[in-house]
Amino acid sequence: MDVLDTLKKDWQKQEDTLPKLTYKEIYSMLLKKSSSIVKWIFIISIAELLLWIFISFLVPDSSKEFNEQMGLKNVFWAITILNYAVFAVFMYLFYKNYKNISVTSNVKELMKNILKTRKTVRWFVYYNIAGTALTLLGANLYFYFNQDKLQRLLADAHYGYNNISPEQATTVFFTAQLIVGVVFIGLLMLFYYLIYGLLLKRLKRNYRELKKIEV
Amino acid sequence: MNKELEHKFVTQLEENQNIVHKICRLYTNDADSHNDLFQEVTIQLWKAYPKFRGDSKFSTWMYRVALNTAITLYRKSKRRVQTQDFEGVSFKIKAEEYDDTIEQQLKLMYDAVKDLNDIDKALVFLYLEDKNYREISETLGITEVNARVKMNRIKEKLRKILNP
Repeated sequence: MDVLDTLKKDWQKQEDTLPKLTYKEIYSMLLKKSSSIVKWIFIISIAELLLWIFISFLVPDSSKEFNEQMGLKNVFWAITILNYAVFAVFMYLFYKNYKNISVTSNVKELMKNILKTRKTVRWFVYYNIAGTALTLLGANLYFYFNQDKLQRLLADAHYGYNNISPEQATTVFFTAQLIVGVVFIGLLMLFYYLIYGLLLKRLKRNYRELKKIEV
Repeated sequence: MNKELEHKFVTQLEENQNIVHKICRLYTNDADSHNDLFQEVTIQLWKAYPKFRGDSKFSTWMYRVALNTAITLYRKSKRRVQTQDFEGVSFKIKAEEYDDTIEQQLKLMYDAVKDLNDIDKALVFLYLEDKNYREISETLGITEVNARVKMNRIKEKLRKILNP
């Protein structure tokens, strides 16, 4: 006889050994809160979306003023408009994907939809990291090629660079920009990698197993 | 209206709770995790219940939601990576047909099933629950042919464990 058929026969005898919950016990479970992965993904994703919107508001006025005086006002204005447009598109995609997650779809479909939702947020984060890096790089290149203007501005007591020579001020300025940029982007990537990696490790593994059956 | 729905749901779940317990037994390794998973399945079932049209059997619908919860949605501590021990298996073998070798073989097989990955476990579970390949493939979202091929591979694996 088939090995599994022996097991099947035995499996079906286990009914008596299973726990039996009463009507009341089951009823009380309806009132409890879910701790499902979808809920966590939703919370974390919304937090990430909000974080980036928050960060875009966080740029200090002095830095805005500085950029204006450097003649970058219109460029930054265009970047801001573009940013909000992209934010809106991502929000819409995220919402659409999230709506598609249904516990009554088949196992594969469910996993696919959850991963898709996360992928949208992941692209959003990539967009922001790349956007930040490129803006920083672009602005600094512009500063580099307009050093006269930069030095004149830095000499202004307002920015705290007036105690050192113009050459030193430029060096300090670029070094500071570089360090802040690298640390900021590095931290974001690490933070993101940790959350994403921990939350979806098992799901990704299971999805891979399921796909393996298909080949 | 809501009270009525609650009553109907709880009654149906109470009648069919064995399905969920069996899944909990396969996917968790202690009583606490068992209860946690049961709880989460109940919440997911209840959340999806308003959309349950009744065009399929309640139990069929339950298999899908419960397995989805166990494999994908449920998230608890590392405890649940391992599985509940089928201690004292096999279940209720009658005295007259009691046989030491069968007992031994069953124990080995339960251990092997326990060690399968989440997906293979779901496949074996549905098979043990006497589901046909059409139902298995529909629940998992794979083709019937692929379900058969995979099931045969698992059988082969189990056979090797029994006759090394």
